[in-house]
Amino acid sequence: MPTLVQKYLLACLLLFSLSSVTIANSKLPEPPTGILKLDAYQAPPILLTDIDGIKYNLNKTKGHWVFVHFWASWCGPCRKEMPAIQNMWDNLKTQGFKIALINTAEDEDTVFNFLGIYAPNIRALMDRDGQITEKWKPRGLPATYLVDPTGQVQYQALGGRAWDAPTYLNFIKTLIK
Amino acid sequence: MLIKNNLFLLITITLSIICLLITTNVHAESNKRYQFINKEIRVRVTPRSPQQMAAFYEGRGFSKKMVNALIQPCFFTVGIHNKTSDILWHDLSKWKFANNSGDIKHLDRAYWKDKWKKMQIPLAHQSTFRWTLLPESLDFRSNEHEGGNIILPYSTNKFTLQVAFKTKKDKSGKLIPIKIENIQCQR
Repeated sequence: MPTLVQKYLLACLLLFSLSSVTIANSKLPEPPTGILKLDAYQAPPILLTDIDGIKYNLNKTKGHWVFVHFWASWCGPCRKEMPAIQNMWDNLKTQGFKIALINTAEDEDTVFNFLGIYAPNIRALMDRDGQITEKWKPRGLPATYLVDPTGQVQYQALGGRAWDAPTYLNFIKTLIK
Repeated sequence: MLIKNNLFLLITITLSIICLLITTNVHAESNKRYQFINKEIRVRVTPRSPQQMAAFYEGRGFSKKMVNALIQPCFFTVGIHNKTSDILWHDLSKWKFANNSGDIKHLDRAYWKDKWKKMQIPLAHQSTFRWTLLPESLDFRSNEHEGGNIILPYSTNKFTLQVAFKTKKDKSGKLIPIKIENIQCQR
């Protein structure tokens, strides 16, 4: 005979499974130009530290949509795109949306100087040896993925995008509502 | 006296402008760009000088021995734009580079990976280097632009680039051939 605690845990497990299935099966919106809908797959792990040495784990963001972005300061389109990401983030950060801004294989000084100019309010994650970036297999840099609340990669952006433009903002708002 | 001074100033400014124009022209000349363009695709090939490559990689903190290895061969920055409304398949192994002595094999990722391993280059610099290369393969989506460097062994001979891109999701669409002639290494 299960105890009350066991029953409660079972109910929680069942609810969690149901919600995962619901997200996986629910119809996701068609993306705007420049964003690809992918055949969903489990997001590769992201275990990194930020520029201040604080640990980050993508797994701990489950329950939220996550904007996973790979960039480097030497990449021209990254420089062009970053202010739009900062604007997008300013617009959506209070709405349960999460961001993982991952620098590929550069040092703290470079990242600090770059983000101080282009995106001063976003926490930068340091992929110091570039190995996390490799595992995500981006098409190039910059690269952006949208990961759903169950940890599945659902969308990928082609190159840099004007993320603060109404088309993209509204699309993300549709996802997170 | 005032007229003399103004005349001197005018001559100085004019000479400066001429110098600037000459320098700009030389600079533009030294970055000659080769291009193939039609309604389906645009491929641009820009030779890079050893000085440009050294400056770029030194700026990324690469070691002297790594930079020295990188300034020996010929660098070309390639940009591809898929102008079709379908998928265009890029496969670098199918790109054919040839001069009048025969085919030239580009120095691919495997070559550099092996070289960096032997030279004990830090993973971070290996990673940055790889991201500056043209992808080995990619399914270019409609209107997608991507680019990167290709590297060939140094030669003074002009060469021809030829490749045919497959199209459609299952690669069964029409082939899109391109040919760019008389490309030359920048020194």
